[in-house]
Amino acid sequence: MRTRHPFTLLTLAAALPTLAWLLPAPAGALGTAAVAFGLAAAAGVRRVLIPVVTAAPFWLFLFVLHDLPTTLAIGLRITTMVASFVWLAAVLAPDRLVEAMVVRGWSVTVAYLFAATLSAVPLFRARARRIVEAQRCRGLSPRGSVANRLRALRALAMPLLLSALHEVDERALALETRGLRSGARRTPLAPPPDPALERAARWVVLLVCIAALVARLV
Amino acid sequence: MALSPAFQLDAAGFSYGAIAALSAVSFAVAPGERVALLGRNGAGKSTLVRLVTGLLQPDEGTVRVGDWDTRDYAPEDLARRVGSVFQHADQQLFARTVREDVSFGPRALGFGEREVARRTDDALEALALTAHAAQHPYDLPPALRTLAALAGALALEPAVLVLDEPTVGLDRALQAQVAGALHEHVARGAALLVVTHDLAFAAETLERGIVLDRGRLAYDEPLATLLASTERLKPLGLVPPPVAALSVALELPGLPVREREAAHTLARVAGAEPRP
Amino acid sequence: MNPLALEGVEFHYPATETPALRDVSLAVAAGEIVALVGRVGAGASTLLLVAADLAPRITGGRLTGAVRRRARSGIVLPTPWTQLSGMAFTVWDEVAFGPANLGWPGREIARHVERALERLEIAALAERDPATLSGGEVQRVILAGILAMDPDVVLLDEPSTELDPAGARALWRLVRVLAGEGKAIVVATSDLDAVPDVADRVAWLEQGAVRALGTPDLLAEEATCAAGLGTTVARVWRAAGLDAPYPLTVADAVQRWR
Repeated sequence: MRTRHPFTLLTLAAALPTLAWLLPAPAGALGTAAVAFGLAAAAGVRRVLIPVVTAAPFWLFLFVLHDLPTTLAIGLRITTMVASFVWLAAVLAPDRLVEAMVVRGWSVTVAYLFAATLSAVPLFRARARRIVEAQRCRGLSPRGSVANRLRALRALAMPLLLSALHEVDERALALETRGLRSGARRTPLAPPPDPALERAARWVVLLVCIAALVARLV
Repeated sequence: MALSPAFQLDAAGFSYGAIAALSAVSFAVAPGERVALLGRNGAGKSTLVRLVTGLLQPDEGTVRVGDWDTRDYAPEDLARRVGSVFQHADQQLFARTVREDVSFGPRALGFGEREVARRTDDALEALALTAHAAQHPYDLPPALRTLAALAGALALEPAVLVLDEPTVGLDRALQAQVAGALHEHVARGAALLVVTHDLAFAAETLERGIVLDRGRLAYDEPLATLLASTERLKPLGLVPPPVAALSVALELPGLPVREREAAHTLARVAGAEPRP
Repeated sequence: MNPLALEGVEFHYPATETPALRDVSLAVAAGEIVALVGRVGAGASTLLLVAADLAPRITGGRLTGAVRRRARSGIVLPTPWTQLSGMAFTVWDEVAFGPANLGWPGREIARHVERALERLEIAALAERDPATLSGGEVQRVILAGILAMDPDVVLLDEPSTELDPAGARALWRLVRVLAGEGKAIVVATSDLDAVPDVADRVAWLEQGAVRALGTPDLLAEEATCAAGLGTTVARVWRAAGLDAPYPLTVADAVQRWR
């Protein structure tokens, strides 16, 4: 998977949630969620997804607002989105995406914007883990009752967000130190190969999505 | 031993997959002891720290904090006995003010508000942070954030204090502040374990040296003798810190490894009057 | 002409009344190593940011005075992990990140990357994922990444803090090698005992101003020792009540002793 062209991976990651929302629920959503999960499992990120997706507060919140079938539909669609994104972050090296975009003529700055969003995921996870550990060593328990877990989640959310914001400043400075300037022509290190078959496959996926949209509207 | 240990490792080992990060390590630390954990990068120091705090469980042997086997307790429970500060502590602060962050620990452990306030105030004072108590942690320079993280651990008033590279980014004055706060804490009976590359800081503040080499215990002896011994330090990639090197080079009697002692010994031998 | 020269520089961070740098003048010649010493907050990091053309351009703030740069500079921050691109899956790609951004041809990039990996003794890490590296390894990878961009001025902010003693010694050796190749080097460090063997000149910063500028012998003078900024040997000599001038290093002390 990792050797596929970045645009192929992007297309797939965008198509799954799109189809999840377009196809009739809950079968369609279940199908796409299953595919997304399967991809994620193959990429090795299953362990992170399971607690995220089965988080009780999330499903509870949905159930409070909607009836069971709707809850399932929305829940599965969101699951597909999350799983697709996490999968993408695991298999797509941000620098390859940048290369692919730059080769196609996209501006370096826009390309990095895309890439930075992707690379944020592993950085976030690493930081979240460090913060949770530090908090546990100060007595905060992330296990146990729902109230406990919610408290732990809240204690994690604030510092994660704060440090993420603080880090944006630092990153801008840091990336400057690595020669990143807008308007510069970056040398692609390993322009990803784009075999005709893959390009065709991307078109097929796009057509399937359009067909689903049309079917939905008609 | 008259006193039961504050914490001890018995043939403890841990592996990350197939790689043994730590094997067959045994030592006990009594209350009031100040131990430096030394060794190359990759020698297993951080793994050992994680075992003592309960973030990792030993694959072999046991790790005990007081009479608690760490396999029976989660890190948040061990926090009652073990206060820890990890590397890059300045990235682990999470409250809106320094005071709130420091009081997080005692509050999480369930102490009443008055007790929480007392501990927080004491910890802030020990590290001269009282003036910054109402500030947002990220408004402080990294060096002071490190001190704030340390205050958070001190506020737990733990029986065992474990610090991983606490002096990185601190100038001499701030290091002295840290040393003072640690001394105070130890004087009340806590055991201290400090992972550090700064052998000079270790010489000044700590007394016992435990050296790891490729996951095994290489040495366990007083710093006073270890740091003056080039033959033992060299194969571990270490060199005697400046004071020890000076003592050895000048053949000062007693081979002092601390600045104050070296200055006094030097003065004595040279027939001078040391500064007060 | 010097590759780097600051003349009468005053710098304020945004929305701050107290200047971070006051009337700083410092010229660094090619092949010279200047060490910046001082208390935390004295301005060493800011000086390096100004020299790297990151302040005020990226940090914001006001700068008066002149900064003359004849050559490209590279800076390693005291928090090197923030300089990771976050976009490379291997250390090789990470080190190549900078040169690629500069638009160099592929073969040129490969040459510089290989050389940098070799110099920092991290060739064995080339296929590793940067996210799995230890602090010391990250510090070396970032330094390699900066060197791969072939700067003529190398700015280092506390480059040895994450390294173990053997790693620190290797680093200082590398710094001398780089100077030998004609690079101008400015390094902010709190490892005062390493300075005499590394630096040609030392600038003592205090509250944003250059309080003294001279050879490393500066670290054995009364004023620096009294301020807690002398080498350990000098401080011990002084504390013993012996006379100035104090010895700078253990070797000096041995000589004095005889």
